[in-house]
Amino acid sequence: MEVNFFSSLAILVFLKTATLIILALYAIFAIMIVRQVDLMGKTLISSISPTIKILAILHLLAVLALIVLAWGIL
Amino acid sequence: MFSSYLENPQDYRVEGQDPDEKILLLLRAHPITNLSWILLTLLTLSLPFMIPKFLPFLGIQLNSIPYSYWLVFLIMDFLLALAIIFEGFLYWYFNVYIVTTKNIVDVDFHSILFKNIDVAPLRNIEDTSSSMGGILNSIFHYGHVFIQTAGASKNIDLHSVPRPHHVADFILDEAHKFYGS
Repeated sequence: MEVNFFSSLAILVFLKTATLIILALYAIFAIMIVRQVDLMGKTLISSISPTIKILAILHLLAVLALIVLAWGIL
Repeated sequence: MFSSYLENPQDYRVEGQDPDEKILLLLRAHPITNLSWILLTLLTLSLPFMIPKFLPFLGIQLNSIPYSYWLVFLIMDFLLALAIIFEGFLYWYFNVYIVTTKNIVDVDFHSILFKNIDVAPLRNIEDTSSSMGGILNSIFHYGHVFIQTAGASKNIDLHSVPRPHHVADFILDEAHKFYGS
């Protein structure tokens, strides 16, 4: 007999909480990447450093957007 | 720009570089050393295709998972892959060895929080040696260069750099210019 785990509200709430905690940790990681890219760009100054910094910020914004999305749809 | 062996690069500067100091050689690990994180990225990207095949063994049907959860999982998976690519590239791109007209600079970012810069003046260099061993090293022609410095200065090791024997010779030639021999 197949058991549908996802029909239980408790499991769905647990999954939503776990997902949001993982995403929050991931956002901290993304903030650290922005800081790290800033440090790296000051240590080795090259023509693509500003581009990498913009990518790091876009990555952080994508994570923040995903947190909002997950909060809304889960 | 993304080369691992650059002679006289024009668009690079390193922290603490003097106005009259010029970069002669900029080295990174050989691009093939990125293979590990590229494979990890491919594995991460393949997860959404592999997981549905394993779910029935756990007694879970794919269509029983709410669409919103599956969507968030997919986006998280792609973000994780993006993070692996980003970190892998950053470590490769910014971990450099630089030979200037005055110094050898070893810039190391050990992890996301630790930065280490070793600087050895060229006049302190006593000896260089190089080694190359292993299948990938032999095929792609990269290896390690060990630089012995005088006094209390820390020895500098260049890991997985292209053309190691040539680099060792180049550094020793530059050091000899200080001794006039």
